[in-house]
Parts: sequence; structure tokens; C-alpha cells
Amino acid sequence: MEANGAAIDALNLIRSRLCNPNSIFRSLCGSPDSNYSKLKSILSTSITEACNNSVLLLGPRGSGKAAVLELVIGDLLLEYPDMITVVRLNGLLHSDETNAFKEIARQICIDRQLLFSKMASSDDNSQFMLATLQECGLKHKTLVFVLDEFDLFIQGKQRLLYALLDALQSISSQAVVIGVSCQLDVEKLLDKRVKSRFSHRFLLFLPPSKNDLLKLVEHALYLPIDSSIPQDYAVEYNAKLDAILEDRRFQEIIDSCWESYPTIRHLMKFLFHAVSSLNLDSGYLSFENFKAALPSMQRQPKTESLRDCSVLELYILVCMKRLEVKEQSSYNFSAVMKEYKSIYGSFHTPDYYGQNVCLRAFEHLLQCGLIGFTDDRGGHNQIIEFRPVKLLISLSELIYGLKSYNSCPVHAILYIQYQLSDGYFTSIFKHGSLLTIRRSP
Amino acid sequence: MAREESLRATKRITRSASSAPTPEKKSGFKTKKTADLCSPSLTDLVYGDPISLDALLSTFPGRKAQILELIKLLGHLNSPTLPLFIYGVPSTGKTSIILQLFRHLNRPFVYSSFRTCYNPRSLFESVLNQLLLHHRDASNGYSSAKRCDRPSDFVDLLRDALTSLIKRLKGSVKKSMPPQLALPVDGHMIYLIFDHLELVREWGKSSSVLHFLFNLYDNLNIPEVGFIFLSNLAPDMFCSNMSYVEQIPVYFPSYSEDDICQIFLRNQENQKLYSSFLDVVLRPLCRITRRLDELSPTFASLYMQYCKPISGPDTVLNEDMKRRLYSKLNPHITSACNETFRVLDYAAPEAETSTKFEMKGCKRKLESSKKSDELDFHLSTSAKYLLISAFLASRNQATLDASLFDSSGGPDGRKRRRKVSQKVMAQQETAEDDLHTKGPGSFPLERLLAIFQCLSSVAEGSPDEDGGSDDWLGIGGEGAVVTTDILLQISSLSNVNFIVRGGSCPLEGSTRYKCMVSEDLALKVARSLKFPLAKYIYRR
Repeated sequence: MEANGAAIDALNLIRSRLCNPNSIFRSLCGSPDSNYSKLKSILSTSITEACNNSVLLLGPRGSGKAAVLELVIGDLLLEYPDMITVVRLNGLLHSDETNAFKEIARQICIDRQLLFSKMASSDDNSQFMLATLQECGLKHKTLVFVLDEFDLFIQGKQRLLYALLDALQSISSQAVVIGVSCQLDVEKLLDKRVKSRFSHRFLLFLPPSKNDLLKLVEHALYLPIDSSIPQDYAVEYNAKLDAILEDRRFQEIIDSCWESYPTIRHLMKFLFHAVSSLNLDSGYLSFENFKAALPSMQRQPKTESLRDCSVLELYILVCMKRLEVKEQSSYNFSAVMKEYKSIYGSFHTPDYYGQNVCLRAFEHLLQCGLIGFTDDRGGHNQIIEFRPVKLLISLSELIYGLKSYNSCPVHAILYIQYQLSDGYFTSIFKHGSLLTIRRSP
Repeated sequence: MAREESLRATKRITRSASSAPTPEKKSGFKTKKTADLCSPSLTDLVYGDPISLDALLSTFPGRKAQILELIKLLGHLNSPTLPLFIYGVPSTGKTSIILQLFRHLNRPFVYSSFRTCYNPRSLFESVLNQLLLHHRDASNGYSSAKRCDRPSDFVDLLRDALTSLIKRLKGSVKKSMPPQLALPVDGHMIYLIFDHLELVREWGKSSSVLHFLFNLYDNLNIPEVGFIFLSNLAPDMFCSNMSYVEQIPVYFPSYSEDDICQIFLRNQENQKLYSSFLDVVLRPLCRITRRLDELSPTFASLYMQYCKPISGPDTVLNEDMKRRLYSKLNPHITSACNETFRVLDYAAPEAETSTKFEMKGCKRKLESSKKSDELDFHLSTSAKYLLISAFLASRNQATLDASLFDSSGGPDGRKRRRKVSQKVMAQQETAEDDLHTKGPGSFPLERLLAIFQCLSSVAEGSPDEDGGSDDWLGIGGEGAVVTTDILLQISSLSNVNFIVRGGSCPLEGSTRYKCMVSEDLALKVARSLKFPLAKYIYRR
């Protein structure tokens, strides 16, 4: 039982480590040419030498921009206490400039223990900000503005950006503006005035190399020896983990996970899933945990939805595919019903149901996301039977889904007629297996 | 599964069905009485008395794998977790499982559903009310604790509320309290559950709200908060170029036939009888739909039919008996396959004694369910005529009006119609096809009024009408139609979406209308007026 308790503690420790991105990225901050060091040098020069600066952190989502930034700020706050004030703005929340100024004033007030009045107008807030900047400049304190989702600040007239970057131009202020964005070409969208005031410094966050990746995984999963977890358990655990990490199959799994989405946080999500299924009886990670977690990263949602469909819904999908093959550019539910009736007429299928039942099945398909309306919003004047629809799955997905429909009843005969351009006929599906492929003369 | 949930801050969610939504089954779990609303406490944040894992697993047959996976992902007490995204078709048990799971784990959570929160403000206020343990009742005028419109305000208020609540939870854990004063909840993590996420896609500014919700976990940066999203749609339908879905997906597949059997067999008194019933009924109905909320009312009414020949509780259920029951049930199954909605005919208590009467009533309803000649709703006579006129205006082309109706009214004009030329016939064929593709045609208001005048004069001519409806008194001759009444009738018809505004006329720009009524309904209305509508509909 002690091993069990130790396993639980270890599990909690690793989970909290994986949920917190900052600790993960710490391992990437070692080398001198990493983004961490560059960012740190930019900020520390502006603190020590009292100069203004602006920098943009660019990179795909999950590559650690905000995490590295937090690490840098955290370290600098330790090194230079009381000399930095951080104001954090988010493009999702504060893209509107009145909101932004209010938020800036509020955060400055919190930092300097002043009372913030909600009634202050936007003008008052911006004056307050400028006054604070001047004051900070005189006292040799640095104001750091962090703008998350920078691309959302660029919509509109960019007044906030202009105000901030303009304030940096005066000699008496001492501030740094750091923008964080996922859009790599965000600089092109900047206004002319804003662009001229922006120092074109970028830090690109690229995906790490293979070695770095493995180092990251080790860093995430290893148990520290000197923590509250019993030492022999931790040593045993680390040894077992070493064995797994050496395994070629494990590296293949990591590769496939990385190839689908090459960001670090996605990998962390995968490791989280794997680690949560740690077997508490044995108390150690095993290769099977990782193998079992891989399918959750590689879901096929449309196939899953297809497997959940009933036979009638599959009929409707097949009818829609036939209509598409007949090159009807747009069709609606009543056209699908006509096709359904014609299938019944020509093939005498046993499943022939009334219009209301088919309409209900049609609505189920809409709810699953397997079909969709082509008119966006203007469809509310039309009844559902006449709105144009389209299939949201491809033919191969449909065929794959039909094949994997396990509980296909005996008399479920689904016909698709697919005419290729060079005259091949493919008639498919009796009992879910490929029947014949006939070549037309 | 029908759930009523108010925006009140409490967890007193009244539910009309538990996990297996058959109307006969009672929910085995007690919900708290609403009487003790006076003192908001931390018990509001849990769902009820804790249940054991076995009880949880047995309540949800067929969901063992998903429940265990959720328990694994949520982790032990006070272990932080990445956001979870649970998805699956409706009525697979997502909401009920997650709530019962939290009951089993006895951890505090905050639940809000996008079915009841219809805009960002109601969502924000609902979440904050629950976190601040604020109840909206008469004393505070049903107002929320904090007014919150914007996401930026929400993030700040949420952060404050969460930190204070977590401090409170942590603080009482640290103090060594005697057991009876210990908190009713376990741990200091709070979970925010957002249900019916697919409804957000229909909001106007949906993309920003979704992006905001998915990024809330990062924005807040509080490790003691867990996020759980429930949805009917898979996470790939929520991707836009902005939002990056970082949640761990958990999939609830639709039930297999064995699982459906198990679910329906629960709480049935006569298991053998019901299982033989299911053998017969499950296959055909599962071909149509596999959703439990649609199967259960059908099964309930069919089971009543199935049990009728059985006289007493001690009837031996052998093969012969089963075959007899099956043959009696077969026609009902085929009729049930073609219906979408069946209402159980629960007899009133005074009619219980006369079961024969009830049976007759049931039977009649069953027979006529397919072709019910009666209208389910009431319309005044002039409204019915208006509806028929609108249907004809949408259905027929304007060029036919001259031949169908002449100024003296009546179908006489048809006999005098010239032989229709080839071109016009081809046009009518395309019009028929168009009807299938584009839907009902649009007509200007004047045409509707003209047809209505013709029809009402026809009706006046026919002697046998329902006696003296008052609104006919005003319609003496053709010219004495009371215009105000008619326009009011038209506006009330458009309020119920029988007539809607279609596109405007390309030449003049005046508005045109369309009739959204199906042919069956129009024929029913005409039948109730004894009006020969079929003669006026042009058919190829």
C-alpha cells in the first residue's frame, strides 16, 4: 500500500507538472541562443540601461511563447525586485481601446496600491497611463506591457497600439511592449504610423529538434529524487522510465504524435493522457499506457459519427451521395426523398419509411455534423425541407463508415453507384462487403 | 432527456428522467428539497449524497469504459487536470453521467448549460452566481450577484470568486475540525462544466465566445480549476483558424443493441416478458433510430399493446404464447415505424374502471393516427379560407388563376378552359420540379386577397356549412369583405409561420409572401371546411 500511496503522489506530481506549461519549458531555456535568453537580454537591457523597447513573439499555438515570457518575467522579478511593473492585456478581452485603457489603469493601480475608480473616462485613463510612464521613467522603474493575442489588437484603427508605441518614443519613459501572436505575418497588418514606431524585433518560436523533444519528455516524466516521494520508489520508477524511453516503439509513438501536430503542448496533452492511466497496482508507467493514449490523439470523428448512425440515416447519406454523383449542384431534403423513393422503386429495399420519419433522421444527421446547410444565415425563412444541404463527408469516409458498421442487419442492402469518368462501374455492398467491380465496355 | 434548469444559483436541478429515460422509471436519487434555500452553503456545489462506484456503474449499463476513463482523467483528489471535452450524439448520457460522477467523487462543481444561457451575459452571471453562492429569489429581486456583460469583467470577477472559494475550501481542510462540522465536499478543486456547447455556434458572435471559453483555462492560470465541456458535436467542428482546441476528447459512442436491451430491462417488473418483447421490437425500430429518447416512448406504447392479451400475472411464457403475442403486435410495429411521435394515452382516473372504453379509445387513436382527419388546432373559418387561399397561391402558378377562378367564383371556369398548349404544359412541369427544389412559390398580397374573395364566394354558394360562425356575417357579397379583419388574420397567420415573407418582387420591390403549410395540412383544413381543395391544385 505504501507503493500505492507513493504512486498516487507521483501521479499527482507529474500531472500538475504537465498541466502547468511554465515548468515544462524551463528545460528548453538552457542554451544561450534560445528564445529565453534573447528575451531576457532584451528586457534586462531595458531595465538596466533605461531604454525603451518593443518585441514580438511569434509562433504557432502551443509552442511556448507565453510560457517562456512568464519564465523570463518571473526570473527578472526575482533579480530586480520592485523595478518592474507588469501590465497584461489580452486581445480577446481588451481589444477595444476604452476597455484597454481601463484595464491598464486598473492594473497599475493594483500594483501601486492606489484606488481605482470605475467611473474614470477613457481620456482620464490614458492620461493616467502617460503620467505613470513619466513617473516611472524618473524613478528608473520599467513598465512592461504584455499584449496577448496581438493580432486581435490590430483590428480597427489600432489606437491603443499607437498610443503605447508613441509613449515609448519620449525620452522620459521607460517601458517595454511585448506582443505575443500566432499569426506569423502580423507585422504586415500594422498601420503605417504604428509600424514606424515599432522596433522590428521578432522572436520566432520554432518547434524543437528531436533531441530537445526527448529531453523535454524526460524532464516532464522523471521523478525528482529529493522530493517528498520515497526515494527507492522514485529510483525504481526512473529506471523503468529509462527502459521505456529507450524503446524504439516508444519513439515511434512520439514521432506519430508529433507529426500530427508539432507543438509542445499537444505532446504534453498526450503525455497527460498516458500518465493518467498509470496502473496503480503496479505503480509504474508502462509502454501500454502510452500506446493506449495514442488513439485519443488520432480520432476520426466522422467515422465515429457514421458508426453511430442508424440504417435509415445511412440510406439518406447514400441518397445524397447519389445525388452528388448525378452532379446536382444543390439539392435539398425533398430531392433526397425523391431519390429515396426511386431507390425503393428500383431495388425494393425493405426499409421504406414515411416522410416524417426520414425528416427526423435527416435532422439527426444535421445534429451530428455529417451534413450541413449551404446557406449560412438566411435560411430561417425557408422550411427545413427546402434548404439546400450538402454532405460533409467524402466518399471514402462514407464507404469506410459503411464497412465498419458492425451490426448491419441481414437485409441491409446499401447501394451506391459511382460512375468514374472513364467508365468504371462500382457496385458495392451487400452485407458490408465489396461485391463486384465491373468494367463497362 | 428533458431537463428543467433555472438560472438560479442552486443545484436543485429537477429532472424528469434519470439515466435511462423511460417515463415509467423513477429517478432513484433524491434531489434536495427547495425549502432550505435560505442559507446558501457549500452543499450547493455538489449534486447530492455521495454514491459508490458500483452504484454509479450499475446505473449506467454500457458506459463502464467511459466512466472509468473519466475517473482516470479527472485524477485523484486535488490533482490538476487539463480541460476535458466530452462529446457524443444526444441522449447518450453525457450530462447525467458527469453529474452522477461528481456526486460519486463528491467534488464541488459549477454547472451551466447553453440551453438556458442564451447570451454571454446570462452565462457569466449564472457561473458567478453559483460561485458566489448567491441565490436569486424574491428578497433580492431575482437579480444576480454581480452584473457582468463583458468577457474582461467576467475574467476578473471569476478569478476573484474562484480564489476566495478555493481559499475557503483549503482553509477548512487545514483546520482540524470535528467530523460533523467538516465540509460536505472533498478537496479544494472546483470544476466548471459547460453543457450543450454546440448551441454556441448559432450565436452571432460565436467564434469569439468559443475562443474565449477555450482559452479561459490559460487566462485564469489557476491550477485548482478544472474545465469540462459537453457537446453533441465533435471537437473538430469547433475549430476555426483562431481557436486551438487543447482539450482532451472523450467520446461517448451511441449504445449498441445489447446495451439498449439492458437499459430498458432495468426496473421492469416482468423481466422475461419484457425481454421477449424487446426481441421482437428492437430490431425493426433500431433500424430507424438508435436514440434512446426516441425509442422509449415508442417502446412504452408498444409494450402496452403487447401486454394486452395477457390476462394474469401467472401466464406461462412459452414459445406458443410468444408467437401469439408477436402476431398481435406486428401491425402495430409497422405503424410505429412510420410515426415520429407517440403520446401514451393515459386514461383519466374515473375512466380506469372502464378499461374497455380506454382500449377502444386507444385503438381508434392508433388506427387514425396515420390519417387523422381532424385538425389538432383551432382556426376560425375565415382564417381557414385564408390558409387555403395562401396554399393555392403558393402552389399554383399565377397564370393558372384565370382558368381556375373566374369572377363569379367556382370551378365552372375550369370546364371552359382551352386545351393547354405544349409550352404551357412544359412550363407547368418545370414548375412542379421547382416546387420540389425551391419550395413554395411567393405571391403578392393582392393575389392572395383575390383568391380569397373567389373562394369565399364559392363557399357562400354551397349550402351546407357549419352553422352560423359569426365572422361569416360580415362577408355578404364579394365586395363586402371586411378588410381589417382579413389583414389581422393574415398577420396572425404569419405569426405562426404559416405565411412568411418571401423575397421581394424583382420589378417593383414590393414584398411577397410564401405559404409554408404542407399539402397534408392544407387538405386537412379543407376537409374540415368541406371544401374541395383537390380540384384547385394543379397537378401534372
